[in-house]
Amino acid sequence: MRSDIPVNYNLKVRLFAILRDVVGEREITITVPSGVTVSYLNDEILKKYPQLRSFSNKFVTSVNCKVTNGDTIITSSDEIALLPPVSGG
Amino acid sequence: MSELEDNSAGAVSIFMGNVRNRGKFGNVLEIYYEAYGEMAEVKLREIESEVKTKWNIKKLVAIHRIGNLKVGETSIIIGVCSEHRHEAFEACKYVINNVKTRVPIWKKEMSEESQMWTDGILLE
Repeated sequence: MRSDIPVNYNLKVRLFAILRDVVGEREITITVPSGVTVSYLNDEILKKYPQLRSFSNKFVTSVNCKVTNGDTIITSSDEIALLPPVSGG
Repeated sequence: MSELEDNSAGAVSIFMGNVRNRGKFGNVLEIYYEAYGEMAEVKLREIESEVKTKWNIKKLVAIHRIGNLKVGETSIIIGVCSEHRHEAFEACKYVINNVKTRVPIWKKEMSEESQMWTDGILLE
């Protein structure tokens, strides 16, 4: 089997606060090819959950508890979460 | 308080954040707090490490409650002890300011009329 053939896998994405309320799920599953970036994943999320489009500039994506930029490459074992603006304290 | 006991510390500074009866959207009955626990722990440890680099702190305790809290209940408590008061005051202020801007915690204001997520600060 050639290793350069993209393999699709299911990525679990955790949602918090208003994003969870809007989608109605704590965790969603997105199917992506291997080697995709955070930007690609976010686009796929917005396609599958158009109700999140109005929040597209109101959340950041964390990978393994670190806020990322769009160029970050995702692997199948990463823990992904969408985080709306924080308001603790 | 026993976690802040240290005979070499002459100052203990404590900050408590309580649920107010007035919020951004009017009267508040209670606040629902939600956290991304794993990341919040990482961020709190990061802030603790920065505080210990910046000031000569003996001990630091920071606890944020989650779930539903009624008006008057304490949502966050931060305690710092140090040899002198200046470090304790400054470190305490640094922790609460950074918890508010860097730790993934969210609040929803609950009133008789509505339940609204409070807008906040986008993490960097």
